[in-house]
Amino acid sequence: MKVAMFQQAPYRFLPEDFEQHWSPAVTMPYRRLADARGMTATYHQMLDELLLGARSGFDGVVVTEHGQAAYDISPNPSLFAAVLANTIRTEGLDAALIVLGRSLGKTREPLRIAEEYAMLDVLSGGRLVAGFPVGLSYDANINQGIPGVDTRGRFHEGYELVRRAWAADEPFAFNGRYAQYAHVNLWPRPVQEPHPPLWFPGSGNPATTEWVLDQDAAFVLLTWFGVKMGGAGIFDRFWELCEEKGREVNPHRVAVVQVCAVAETDERAEREYGPWLQKGFRHGPGILAPHLFLQPGYVPLRGLQGMLRNTGDPGIVARLRTVEFAELQREGCVIVGSALTVRERLEAVCREMKVGNLLVMLHMGEMPHELARKNIELFSAEVLPHIKGMWERDGYEHRWWPTGVPATAEAVA
Amino acid sequence: MATVPGVREEVVRVWGDRVGLRVQVRGGGPPLVFLHPASGLAWDPFLEELAEARTVYAPLVPGTSMEDPDAIHEVRDLAELVMVVQEGLLALGLQGADLMGSSFGGMLACELQATFPGMFGRQVLLNPIGLWRDDAPVANWMMTAPQDLPALLFADPSSPEAQAMFALPEDHVEMADAIAGMTWALGCTAKFVWPVPDRGLARRLHRVTAPTLVVWGAQDALVPAVYAEEFGRRIAGARVEVLEGCGHVPQVEKREQTLALVREFLG
Repeated sequence: MKVAMFQQAPYRFLPEDFEQHWSPAVTMPYRRLADARGMTATYHQMLDELLLGARSGFDGVVVTEHGQAAYDISPNPSLFAAVLANTIRTEGLDAALIVLGRSLGKTREPLRIAEEYAMLDVLSGGRLVAGFPVGLSYDANINQGIPGVDTRGRFHEGYELVRRAWAADEPFAFNGRYAQYAHVNLWPRPVQEPHPPLWFPGSGNPATTEWVLDQDAAFVLLTWFGVKMGGAGIFDRFWELCEEKGREVNPHRVAVVQVCAVAETDERAEREYGPWLQKGFRHGPGILAPHLFLQPGYVPLRGLQGMLRNTGDPGIVARLRTVEFAELQREGCVIVGSALTVRERLEAVCREMKVGNLLVMLHMGEMPHELARKNIELFSAEVLPHIKGMWERDGYEHRWWPTGVPATAEAVA
Repeated sequence: MATVPGVREEVVRVWGDRVGLRVQVRGGGPPLVFLHPASGLAWDPFLEELAEARTVYAPLVPGTSMEDPDAIHEVRDLAELVMVVQEGLLALGLQGADLMGSSFGGMLACELQATFPGMFGRQVLLNPIGLWRDDAPVANWMMTAPQDLPALLFADPSSPEAQAMFALPEDHVEMADAIAGMTWALGCTAKFVWPVPDRGLARRLHRVTAPTLVVWGAQDALVPAVYAEEFGRRIAGARVEVLEGCGHVPQVEKREQTLALVREFLG
């Protein structure tokens, strides 16, 4: 198993009662809620924590893209990734650079994404994982003005263009439905051969996971609800589908986010981190109003009918504004405790769901920088060594991980 | 949307056989084409009353029918939509027919008239979208919470007429389907106007030669009434009627007044 540190860029100085008055994305007023000092501290602390993770033995660092969002002020994660790539190179760190990623359903410049990823692969010495999300509806449709019904079409066309632009021996003209280019001749190209590992984040929609399996790529369950609750039903279906398609059932095909917090004892961990994690969820993307979260046209009619007909008990998902830490802990949305507790629970849940890439989220919301550092240090020292390589020891090959610079290229350098 | 008693649906193959344009038809008498708003077609009392003396033909924007949601992907942009609808209307022998459009449909009527001057008859525009003024921006209905829609669309959102427009079936599955259908319809029509409902109609309106009646609610919170004057000014000889105590949907909120104006204008 690979264990990477997943980090977003939540504004760290939101008012205490933020969730009572404001939306976590699209509409929250910048001038009223944020300022230059807070934004600067947010970015610097976030990058410092990611670098601490990369220096502490994590297999990788993960960044995401969200525009006009208070819970992740990351309109272009390639910029964070470029900063990280340079440090990874200069310090000789063996950490993958996992960008989850630039959204092809949102962008009007798909070729730019091919270029940015190629640059990042070069800068990081072949350590890029190229993530391709469709993009959340509020971000693609509202923030970027893409009609909802076009989101998926743009994603697929953009992905085809990126793959061609990376692979082509000769320049080519691209006559797409959404993008046209007279002469595609990409400089640079990724250094990994034939291309960086391809990871596709999603929410577990069966049509998406099936498509990911057909690409023989990795599927990322991008959720805050954790392996157990977020993955309930989704991973079972995924592995069934994997077998049906005659693909090797290999846990490294799957990545998932898990919020974790480690302290000296269970009691101390709950006391120190609990309030911050609770607030993180209360201020997080889960409280975004449904009509903004899903714009008309983003979900096809049949899928929408299915969603609206099958409204079972939504549990805590429907009441995140008032969610309590104890519930988050009970449902497995967060795994908080002593190193031993966290290690055992992580191992159990990753075994059960066959998760081969664990993306641990060790900072949330307004959690203070020093506490986040403590979490990273304790996790990397006392949890990480025990769970790293879990599936490799069982003989599973990892074909979805960066290879570094091929030997031939290194010799030239 | 389920077909209503007394309404038949024709499917006209158009657009190089890629699209089955669904046209719902009701009533008898001279033809009148009704172009629906962004949320899709609803047979309301206004259309029922019109159908007493006219044959109302209501083409559905491709995709907005629950039967054929993927049809939206065969129509790339507004220019194509205009040609798709024009092909369908001609196939039904509706050359020269009068046009009426509400909101999104009003814009579509103007686009048809501007693209094919002289091909259709008179036109009635009920609070059309399609123009943009920075000093009076059109409200963003796509970002409006469902509970705030009545106040966006009606001067008096508590009136029985307004309430009836938002009534949902009690059966859980039917309700789910109704919400899904309307949401998808909004998604389909948004393809032609999102993110800003200005595709340059202002640059084409001078080509409209059809006699035009513009009806507007003075209290329209979605498309402010200043746009009534904009349409009136840009379409030669247009007659503009602004109704007091009325929002974005005059055919529902001021049905009798609107019917009287329309009947007088269309003859």
